[in-house]
Amino acid sequence: MAPPASKVMQAKEAIGTFVHDGDHLVIGNYTVGTCAELVFEVIRQHKKGLTLYSQSGVFDVEVLVAGGCVDRLVSTYVYRAGGKEGGSAVERALQAGTLEMEDYTNFQYNARLVAGMHGFTYMQVLEGAMVTDLFKKRSFLGKDKYRVITCPYTGKQVLTVPAANPDVCIVHVQRSDKFGNAQYWGALGSVAAAALASKHIIVSCEEVVEHDIIQSSPHLTIIPAYRVDAVVEIPWGAHPTEVLGYYNLDRAAYANFFMADMTGDGLKNWMDEWVYASRDRQAYLDNYISKFGSQGLDAIRAKAYYSAPANYGAAYTSCWDNENRERTMGVTLAELEKIMEERGLLYG
Amino acid sequence: MAKRYTLDELLIITVAREIHDHDRVILGVGLPTTAGAMAKALHAPHATLMMESGIIDFEPLVPPNHIADANACRGFSSATDLFSMFTMTYRGFVDVCFLGVAQIDKFGNINTTVIGDYYKPKLRLPGSGGACDFLSYAKHTILTMRGGEFVQKLDYFTSPGYLEGGDSRDKSGLFPIGSGPSMLLTTKGVFRFDPVTKELCLAQVHPGVSLDMVKKDIPWDLKVAQDLTVTPAPKDEEIDFIRRFAPTEAVGRKMMYELGMINALRKMQERAK
Repeated sequence: MAPPASKVMQAKEAIGTFVHDGDHLVIGNYTVGTCAELVFEVIRQHKKGLTLYSQSGVFDVEVLVAGGCVDRLVSTYVYRAGGKEGGSAVERALQAGTLEMEDYTNFQYNARLVAGMHGFTYMQVLEGAMVTDLFKKRSFLGKDKYRVITCPYTGKQVLTVPAANPDVCIVHVQRSDKFGNAQYWGALGSVAAAALASKHIIVSCEEVVEHDIIQSSPHLTIIPAYRVDAVVEIPWGAHPTEVLGYYNLDRAAYANFFMADMTGDGLKNWMDEWVYASRDRQAYLDNYISKFGSQGLDAIRAKAYYSAPANYGAAYTSCWDNENRERTMGVTLAELEKIMEERGLLYG
Repeated sequence: MAKRYTLDELLIITVAREIHDHDRVILGVGLPTTAGAMAKALHAPHATLMMESGIIDFEPLVPPNHIADANACRGFSSATDLFSMFTMTYRGFVDVCFLGVAQIDKFGNINTTVIGDYYKPKLRLPGSGGACDFLSYAKHTILTMRGGEFVQKLDYFTSPGYLEGGDSRDKSGLFPIGSGPSMLLTTKGVFRFDPVTKELCLAQVHPGVSLDMVKKDIPWDLKVAQDLTVTPAPKDEEIDFIRRFAPTEAVGRKMMYELGMINALRKMQERAK
């Protein structure tokens, strides 16, 4: 069956359709502006047994682990609330033996996705890590965490990581058209690679915009429509994290999460309120406004600082000039057809 | 009465019909882009048209001058790089691509590099460009040959078709199973590939072309389809589209140069007045 032209749907439908128990799920965003509402929806739907990929886990990884969705984690950075005295859901799960984790460097993690994005089976990474415990201590990937090969050109020992092709990427961007041309700007990180390496892509965005907006700024498109399965319009979809051009990090709301995350019970209470009791982002925002007022959101709303537009225009967009003459041959269509007839060029 | 058409229009429209709705298509300059533009406008509105330079999802408004000609469209949906265009093909995201042919053998292997000895060429042709990698990994490749030749042995093997025929392409382990050239269009007819032996098989002749006229170009005993047909005539709306979009291609290169010269002279004379 032909795919529908418009891929716009609700978060509930997108996660329900494309994320399955046991999947390899990658959070496309990293450190900045995460796909908070898509993450919450995964938790609300009680997805189980996920292998989660995250470049730098922040609160998104914490809540997915605390929500019992994740068996295995591939990452480079564990979020920890409150220093030595604090805690983290990842740490608690590791201590409880309910989570396995494979540690990589930022570069190695990104290289796995770049390899996957391009269809390669492995990628060369920086060999210094070979002397470290990153190389020596291995978890569920075992021998396939890294392999060492001999460079055929120099004879040098080269460190490699295997390609990653997660089943699904969830990612939040600034804007998309209804077809799924997803535009993202700011710190590019590993966002495009995470999405393009994956078999299915769910995009949430602050705004669904007209196709014409996309066509006049194709350099901002990081995921072309033909790769995208679902487009979910979620204003404030990354809150309490930030989206460049839309809103800043909500420091107060983030601190609220941070304090809660120091203990398992604290995080559970936080999730009861902000994830489970809020059936969608609107409910989450209603709760936020009822507690803190709308000033909190107004204070972090971005003021405009537009990039200079790039001119994608051409001298003309038709072979026919203003007098309806073809630009090279200087004849009208009627004259051209007459010439075809006279010269015996026509069949049929 | 149905509209009458030029040979060039027939060729363009015949390959345009190989593009289906929702296909992801890599287009080259000339006939393929015009075919792609027609398909998108008339029967494949959801096709994603792309050029290997990194232009994704464009709607051509005039025929492009080269494969990086963003002037030929009013914007496009996604700008990427050449490397990613090829790796997306490698990963199986490209349904159809188009390649021009200088020499072709019985099993659809292609030469676009040289005529004569490689080191002392008689004719040095462009080379691979995108051809080798696209013919390797696109799901289907449409081959077009207007000035080229059928040969027993290629002077240079640029791009892999069905290798030695039969299942040799699939068995090599180098290519996606089932990939390869799906059609060859010439000025005389349309060839497909035998599903078992993978040799070229004449499927259609263009109006006014006899079987002998096709056979005389081919240095082996040509396989001919049991149900050999005449290439269907274009529809009026297809002809109208081609003439509007690419009038210079509708009349063919020779006539374009002739009329173009006359036009250039006329403009010079007007200026002299």
